Amino acid sequence: MNARHLVVLAAVIQGAFVVALLALIVVNRWFRLRRRAAVLPRREATEQAFRRWAAGDGGVNDVARALISLPAPIAVERLAAWNSLVPLDRWPALAQALGRAPWGARLRRAARSRRWWKRLQAARYLAATGVPADTPALAALIKDPHPAVHLAAVSALHHMSAPELAEAAIDQLPHLPVHVGSYFASALRRARAVAVPLLDRRLANPDDPALARIAEYAARLQEPSLRARFTALARHPNREVRAQAARALGSLPHAESQAALLALLTDEAWVVRAQAARGLGLLSAPVALAGLRKALRDPEWWVRLRAALALTRFGGAGRDALVQEERGPDAGARNVTELVLGLSPQALAEYAT
Amino acid sequence: MTTLIHGAEALILVYFLALNSFYGLLLLLSIPEVWEQTRLAEDEDLQKLMLSDALPPLTVMVPAYNEGETIETSVTAMLTLEYRQYEVVVVNDGSKDDTLARLREAFELYEVPRIYPETIITKPVRAVYRSRTRTRLTVIDKENGGKADALNAAINASRYPLVIAVDADTLIEPDALLRLTRPFLLGGNVAAVGGTIRVANDCKVEHGRVLDPRVPRHFLAGVQVVEYLRAFLFGRLGWNRLGGNLIISGAFGLFRREYLLVIGGYQTSSVVEDMDVVIRLHRHLRGKKIPYVMPFIPDPVAWTEVPVTTTVLGQQRERWHRGLIASLWTYRDMLFNPRYGQVGLVAVPFYFFGEMLAPVVELMGYVVAILAVVTGRVDFTFALLFFLFAWGLGLCLSIWGVVLEETSFRKYRRFGDLARLLLFAALENFGYRQCTVWWRLKAFWAAWRKRKTWGEMTRTGFGGPRQSRLYAQSPSGMWQKVE
Repeated sequence: MNARHLVVLAAVIQGAFVVALLALIVVNRWFRLRRRAAVLPRREATEQAFRRWAAGDGGVNDVARALISLPAPIAVERLAAWNSLVPLDRWPALAQALGRAPWGARLRRAARSRRWWKRLQAARYLAATGVPADTPALAALIKDPHPAVHLAAVSALHHMSAPELAEAAIDQLPHLPVHVGSYFASALRRARAVAVPLLDRRLANPDDPALARIAEYAARLQEPSLRARFTALARHPNREVRAQAARALGSLPHAESQAALLALLTDEAWVVRAQAARGLGLLSAPVALAGLRKALRDPEWWVRLRAALALTRFGGAGRDALVQEERGPDAGARNVTELVLGLSPQALAEYAT
Repeated sequence: MTTLIHGAEALILVYFLALNSFYGLLLLLSIPEVWEQTRLAEDEDLQKLMLSDALPPLTVMVPAYNEGETIETSVTAMLTLEYRQYEVVVVNDGSKDDTLARLREAFELYEVPRIYPETIITKPVRAVYRSRTRTRLTVIDKENGGKADALNAAINASRYPLVIAVDADTLIEPDALLRLTRPFLLGGNVAAVGGTIRVANDCKVEHGRVLDPRVPRHFLAGVQVVEYLRAFLFGRLGWNRLGGNLIISGAFGLFRREYLLVIGGYQTSSVVEDMDVVIRLHRHLRGKKIPYVMPFIPDPVAWTEVPVTTTVLGQQRERWHRGLIASLWTYRDMLFNPRYGQVGLVAVPFYFFGEMLAPVVELMGYVVAILAVVTGRVDFTFALLFFLFAWGLGLCLSIWGVVLEETSFRKYRRFGDLARLLLFAALENFGYRQCTVWWRLKAFWAAWRKRKTWGEMTRTGFGGPRQSRLYAQSPSGMWQKVE
């Protein structure tokens, strides 16, 4: 075989490849159009059934029948889409009615698949229609290494208050990127009844290396029964834990919260002082006015800003303090009060959260 | 002479095979990547997550120079994107027209004291404004210092951990920010994320939104659609798997602010500050052994207008290539340097030999072909077959870009658009490609003379013809600043 033969061979292979690509484009379009035409009416019927069911006009069996008529991926997609739109107490009935779906068992088996997209589909299906028997599979999916899978699985906490699921989610918290952790925390908030005792137990261990992360997410629950724990954590040697405690205490009005936050306002770490100033602003207790005014002269800009924003929540007294500091001798305090007094109410509301 | 021609032929053949083998590898790698990205893009749970409080807040940075005519529409469109917590920082970079006055009037701006620290040194900031009607909006008025300087001023003023640089005339799809943050929700330490730039020429645009995507009928614009599809859907997706995306679109790229601050922001002396900033990010993170990823994701889309005259296109391509040469020359110590991992061993060498030197080798090919004809050494049948082979390879790569578009995001729904895409893919190698070679060759001369001009450009605009100085984006990710 010489060079010419080689090039001819390459050109022929290429030609075949180009033809195959063109055929792929055409077949893909044709297939999509056909599938769309075939599935669209059934999908529409499913939407109607869901709408009636959500409004309380239709029966669960209509929804189940409509879903069973759909291919599994589309059925799962519709289940996931309607999951947050229909009252939670109706889902167990749908889960039971879907027991006869031809793809139900297959999707459950997929929870143990080696392919992440199959596990994702299983997680989405079980998150919407899981029954108590699915708890171990869901707990494993919540701990799944693929982020899309554990994100889908943790949605199960919205309607399945199983301690095993909450524990799996809490175990995952320290290992998650911060934004995914926030999503897990919002799921735990919905399963508050089972999540709070578990979080209380975790927060009681001061030597837990993941304590700061657990405290950060536990704070988002704004749970009064955790207030004593957070008050204790305000004296923890780790400044990150103290900062999280300050953050949490700002949402838990109590005389002990105020006292702890006032103490944290003089903490050695500026991150803690800034959080304490924010927390005192949220609590808006008059006893904090003097401390916050002093914090306007803090060496750290963020603490000054947080203190100034906090003072805007104290009404006339806070405003007076800001105006006085605006004319005071401290340049840092003057700058920050100038900024805050110049903000519109909308901007203040946006800043102050 | 015969030995010389033989030697050149062998060199060109080896280069051709090596480069196309690498393209073949990118093509293969783009398959699992588009599969995964399509599945994640369609995932309803992710969409729920994106609408939740868990979303990271971000700052949209909009540099503007003489954008008075369109600034209100552009900023309004940017203030109505689907995202929970974001701010828009518009930097009026010393405009000579009424950009600032229009912003002031449209958004009821009032001056606030500038108290944030100037972490990156910029040209003097004249004033900082907030809006009475739009709390998300901050406007910075500063002395003219160029796009990089304007972006640095916006980085200083931004309050959020993620920043995204967009052009005032770029049309961002409403859900693009939501999609662009997906890697931050899924991944570990994401340093930056790039989205897709598409061609807006001939598309139906209303109130800063592309309502009906079309493939332009104009040859130059149409060919660029194919180029953009190839560059974004197949090139960059492939690079995701090789861990070394060297380009995050300046017109639409999301960065972690802390990293930009550490490297000193954008380089004001560079004509392609977006490529420069990405290379410096790689250098910094690899050098400090900080684990990171810098993925490209295809579903967030921003639309931009591309040039439709050879003069303007030529200037644009010349400048992009000049910027590529300058960047690769500045950071030449990364070439084959194992300290920089895949970036130093794969990405930089590819851009150096496969992108920067490509027009030189192609010119050499044309010269050798002419010499062979002149000296009577050419086997016409073989030459024709080889030409067919080379054209076929180019066609395969372009059609592959179209296939990825068709099997994943399908922005162009009409059969007429699909037919035009395929036609432009087939015609791209006849004339257009040779022109780009010439424009890129001119860049070597300009780089040698250290030219720093941006070129002239007339844009028809989305709301009627206009001529202004604009910041726009190339498919390879580089900026043009045109007057």
